[in-house]
Formats: sequence, C-alpha cells, structure tokens
Amino acid sequence: MGRQLTISCFRYNPNIPGDKPRMQDYKLEEYEGMTLFVALNEIREKLDPTLMFDFVCRAAICGSCAMLINGRPRLACKTMTRTLPSRFTVMPLPVFKLIGDLSVDTGTWFRNLQIRTESWIHTNKKFDFNALEVRMENKTAEAIYEPERCIECGCCVAACVTANIREDFLGATGINRVARFILDPRDERSNAEYFEVVGNEDGAFGCVGIMACADLCPMEIPLQENLAFVRRKMAAAGLKLQFPGVKIS
Amino acid sequence: MELAKNLQTTLNRSYGKTDLYVDLAQSISGVILIGFLWMHMLFVATIVVSPQLFDALSEGLDKYYLAQVGIPATIIVIIIHIFLAGRRAPLRLRDLRIAWRLTNLMNHYDTWIWAGQVITALCVGIMASIHLWVILGAWPLRAATSAARVASTGPADPTWGGFHFPFFLVFYVIFLLVGEYHGGFGLYRILVKWGWFERHKMGWVLKGITVIIVVLGFTALYTFTQIAKTGGAIH
Repeated sequence: MGRQLTISCFRYNPNIPGDKPRMQDYKLEEYEGMTLFVALNEIREKLDPTLMFDFVCRAAICGSCAMLINGRPRLACKTMTRTLPSRFTVMPLPVFKLIGDLSVDTGTWFRNLQIRTESWIHTNKKFDFNALEVRMENKTAEAIYEPERCIECGCCVAACVTANIREDFLGATGINRVARFILDPRDERSNAEYFEVVGNEDGAFGCVGIMACADLCPMEIPLQENLAFVRRKMAAAGLKLQFPGVKIS
Repeated sequence: MELAKNLQTTLNRSYGKTDLYVDLAQSISGVILIGFLWMHMLFVATIVVSPQLFDALSEGLDKYYLAQVGIPATIIVIIIHIFLAGRRAPLRLRDLRIAWRLTNLMNHYDTWIWAGQVITALCVGIMASIHLWVILGAWPLRAATSAARVASTGPADPTWGGFHFPFFLVFYVIFLLVGEYHGGFGLYRILVKWGWFERHKMGWVLKGITVIIVVLGFTALYTFTQIAKTGGAIH
C-alpha cells in the first residue's frame, strides 16, 4: 500500500464565464515509480475528466508538461511523486497565456521568440543538393549541442523574476538560443546583427543574474555560462560598433 | 527585431548602445562601491590595532585631500548606482506583487537572496544618508570622537522618560549587516552575470570575505565602546 497523495490543483477555465480561480484537492494512492505525469492522468481518468493539462512525450523531450510543482517550474513527467511530500500543489506556469487549469500556451511565446531572435542559419551560400555536407569540427558540434538541448518547456522563463515582470524580456531560453547561433560557424550574421537582436534590455542586458533559470532548467543546460557568454560577446561587440543613430527632436 | 514597432520602440532603436552602456555602468558602479565598502571597513578596523593608527590614517586622508575628494565622489557614485540598479527592481505595485508571489512560490535560494538585496538596498540608501550626515557633521574623524559617538546613549532626557538607549551602536550594527549583505551579494551577482567564475565556489569565497568584514566591523564597534569607557583618554 503506497502513500495517500493529496494533489492540490489550480483550477480555472478562462473560457467559462464567471469561473473563479481556486485550488482543488485530489486524493489518490501512490505506487512504485509514479511520476506526476502518471498521477495527473490517473486523476483525469478516475476522478475528474475536466482537469486540463498538457503532455505529449512523457519522457522529458517535448517540454509540454512543465508546471509549477510545489511552486517550482518542473516537468511533470520527470518528477517522481516520491520526491514530493504527500501533499503538494500544482499550478500552471506563469508568464505564458493560461489556457485552463494547468495548461498554458508556450507555443505563441516561443514562436515570437523564434521570430525575434531569427532562429535560423543566416547564410548566403547556395545549397547544393549533390555536394557532400560540409564537415564540422567535433568540438564545435559539441559546443553548439549544449544550448541546442533546450526543449522549450518554459521553466526558465517561468522561474525568472525579470521575465515575470517585463513582458518583452527574451528570457534565458532566448539568450541561450542566440548563444547557439553565435557558436555556429555556418551562421554568417555579424556581431552588429546579433547586437541588434540581444544587445539590449530585452535581451542579454536585461538579465539580473538571479539564476533561477540555471538552477531549475530540467535539461540542466549551463545557462549561467551561456548567458554570460552572450553578455560578454555583446559587450565586446557593442563597444566596437558604430551606430549612426537618428535624432528626432 | 521587434514584432510590432511603434514610434517609441522605433526611436529607442536609434539609441543603439544605451542599454549596453547603462548595464556596464551599473556593474562598474557596484564594483566601485563594494571596493569602497571593504576598504572603508578595513580603515575603520585599524581602531582594533590602535587608536593612534586610526587617527594617523584619518589625518592622512584629510591631509592629502583623499577624504575631501573621495567622499563627494562616493556620494555621486551612490546616486548613480541608485538610479542604475534601481531600475532593475520591481517598482510598480503590480510588479512588486508578481515578484513577491513568485519568490514565495518557488522558495528558490538565489531568488530569496535577490529579494533581500532589494530590501537591503532601501535600508542602505536611507542609512548611508544618515551615516554621511552624522560623520560630515562630526568632521574631522578621530578615535576619541568616534568612540564617544558609538558609545553614546540617548535621549536620557527627563521629558522622554530619561531612558538610555544605544541608538548609534544599534544603527551601526544594522548598517554593517545590511551594507555587507547588499554589497557582498551584489558583487556575487555582477560576477555571475559576466560569468568569469563558477558561481557556487565564487559565492562561498564572497561569503567568507563578507563574514571576515562583518567580524572586523563588530570588533571595531566593540573596541570603540571600550575606548569610550576609558574616557577617550588615548593620546
């Protein structure tokens, strides 16, 4: 007989007129190897089919099931219930648009990030179907792979005080994304172009250095290093750059 | 590239490097102030060695105009730092509530430390102003007068009930703690942002330095009270 778990869930459906945000308790029995993802599915199957939450892969790859577990942004599928007290809370991630209960829309936010950081390889080289792929040094590939491991779960954004209060802040994931392209020799963007993207308060210089992102990243991406790398890179670039600037008075 | 450009964001673009300069200036002003604070505390701690050394140092700073130049310069850096670092703090009530809620929800160590930094910033701002007002009014600083101030109790006036309370001692103890907290963790955050060191190890080094400085400060305060007991007869 496992522990009796009491999961206190945030409930609110903005689409139901007059619905009020509240916490609702669900009791269920824990069993060996139970993850929060399994527990939530059990609630939905046996106790309350109206409970909304997101999941796809249940293996910490898709990043859909990020939520505040006992207040901290984590992945439900990567969280064993045995690591939690017998009573705990689950809430949706802040910052992202609330769809209902534990479900948030991270897609629109990340789409916006994708466009703002121009997350694609900028190159003038013409792609040749018949040529062999250009080889990359193993070291370079490994360096790119570190920031590339981001699964866009949004935990770093939810954990960030700055992202919570400044709507336009790119967050750790955004700055980390830019680090990935700076490291990639195939991207021909100049420092000035990168500076345009993150050399401001909404990017590298908006970070306060609290590092909740680095501590709570489910993929354990070295965010302090990556964020500092972009900050130093942008500072060095910015000090050399010339901006003509338009004065309108 | 911003998705929707309006007049304000379009014109902000033309400032180009402002955000970089402001961020650099914030870090630099912080480093200057923590450097000043640690140096200041080491200077004050000379009282532990001997009041003569304290006086000689104080006289030297006056003689070579280091105090006359250093103090106004420090005040200017403090004011700059308030504006630069203050813009990071959640200032609107809405932001304050969001930040406080998130801090409580997450219960994450570094986020609490940061919340403490915002709170101590307010304390340091107010207490540094009082401190400056008091010491500038008591210039020149000498071991005897400083000891008398640290040990003074008040208000001791019959109309106030005639009670004795060591206002200055309590003030300095609190000021020392909040100042070192704000400065120590402030330097930690600057170094974290620029990322030259592994942050956990660096955090412990800074905590070690801070503890040493705080202990020195307490020792100096104790020494002042002892000097005051002997009636300030030190020369």
